[in-house]
Amino acid sequence: MASSLRLYLACIKNTLEAAMCLQNFPCQEVERHNKPEVELKTSPELLLNPVLICRNEAEKCLIETSINSLRISLKVKQADELESILTKKFLRFLSMRAEAFQVLRRKPVQGYDISFLITNYHCEEMQKQKLIDFIIQFMEDIEKEISELRISVNTRGKLVATEFLKQFM
Amino acid sequence: MAYLERASPMLKETLLKIYRAEKPVEVDQHFQEFGSIQYHIKCSVSDPNIVYVSTSTLLETQGTVTLKDISSQSYEEIEKIAVVGVIDIVDPPSLGFQLTLGIHLNNMPRGKEAIKIIARISEIQALMLSSQLKEMLRNLNLQDDSRPNNKPIRIVYHPNEPFYVFKQPDKITAVFPMNFKDNSDVVIATSFFQELVEVGNLKEMGNVPQCSWSPIPPPQLRGEPIQDLTTNSGFVSFDITSRHVEGKRLDKTVWNLLNFYAYVKYHIKCTRGYIQRRMRKRMDSLVKLLYDISLEEEKAQKVNVRCKYVKDLVKVPKGKLMMKQRCKDMTRRVKISNFRIKINGCARFRFNQRWISLTKYSSKPTNKSYTKLD
Repeated sequence: MASSLRLYLACIKNTLEAAMCLQNFPCQEVERHNKPEVELKTSPELLLNPVLICRNEAEKCLIETSINSLRISLKVKQADELESILTKKFLRFLSMRAEAFQVLRRKPVQGYDISFLITNYHCEEMQKQKLIDFIIQFMEDIEKEISELRISVNTRGKLVATEFLKQFM
Repeated sequence: MAYLERASPMLKETLLKIYRAEKPVEVDQHFQEFGSIQYHIKCSVSDPNIVYVSTSTLLETQGTVTLKDISSQSYEEIEKIAVVGVIDIVDPPSLGFQLTLGIHLNNMPRGKEAIKIIARISEIQALMLSSQLKEMLRNLNLQDDSRPNNKPIRIVYHPNEPFYVFKQPDKITAVFPMNFKDNSDVVIATSFFQELVEVGNLKEMGNVPQCSWSPIPPPQLRGEPIQDLTTNSGFVSFDITSRHVEGKRLDKTVWNLLNFYAYVKYHIKCTRGYIQRRMRKRMDSLVKLLYDISLEEEKAQKVNVRCKYVKDLVKVPKGKLMMKQRCKDMTRRVKISNFRIKINGCARFRFNQRWISLTKYSSKPTNKSYTKLD
């Protein structure tokens, strides 16, 4: 793993560890309702300052925290057109199947490629540390997968091109 | 042109069905393949021994080769495959079709030979198209280079997929304007064209036609319809030299050029499928990772739940517990009062306890009277 990526992920991990201290908190506006405050943003006193971690201009992570929920938005690197298409395809594919991941948001926050929403219930159901590890693993896997896909598509193209031209021989 | 196999699968299947039918069947079937090739198969019960196969293709060419010339060339090619007494060319063809073949089933040889003939009939459309392009390439190759009029020939085998062929000094260039509907298709195709150019420039590929890709049309296409020159994936050109149109190579070259669009589209389709498979696999692994986290948590919870369950079984309400304790104390006191006296260190005398007599108090009224003590 590149050292810059390692540092970037370590920074996100530490921030998440600090931010993921969620507790059950009923909605202050509607009685008998319990909603993620980070989504509603109705009570500013329940929100913490959002943290933006940037690896470079194209790669960043926004962590928004509230008393009972946490929202993590990721922007993935897209070096060229092929990477951009692959990233969009892959992240859309994952977002469409968000129900399989309990913590994935169906629609990413504007300006980002994918978003997670973690509530206090998720923290109760799953271990906090494991959940953070999952987010970090997810980020690593996405980067790895897109890079591998790009290489595979180019390699396939090369093989197909060779086969096509060989037919003329 | 949009197929990689020479034989039309639908035509082959229908002809085999008619051939294998035990009873005479009535067939009057129209079908289209790839949006540009039409077939009509006709077989009547009144004359079950003859099957008529009509075919036509959308063909628009301009320049030196006319439709009439191309058709005559096709006829010559078809005549080569026509087995005497089995296949004959019906003249004039059915209305709206370029060619009609009459197949005499009663003269058809039995067994594998018949299947071979049917397979050859199914290749009729590919044969026609190939013969047309072959003739064009031959004519262009024979043309004098000094001739000023080297206008590109526009070849349309499919409404949305025209391509151009034009003569240049020592070579013939085939130019394919590439258009795709989807953005992702454009990106995959562009990547493929770049690889095609790279591979074509390799030393090992010295004998193949030189390939080039450009986002702008070549200057020779100036003046062609604007819709053909407006593309989202650029223009792919193949430079065909005399080496590629000599002898058996001509057939290969023609077939490859005709199938170029189909080849690229098939590659894009397969690549999309491959990407989808990879994404699905990766998603499964990510879901499994998350599921494992949940599972570990559940396991831990289960262990706690078991302890809790035991505690629940043992647990007694507080009030009840106090009451029970009091009862216990009371019972113990009662027992002590009734029990024999125990003195620490005098356990050995316990056996002789019977010798120590204790005053017995009786509750009987007869014993209530006082007795004088000595």
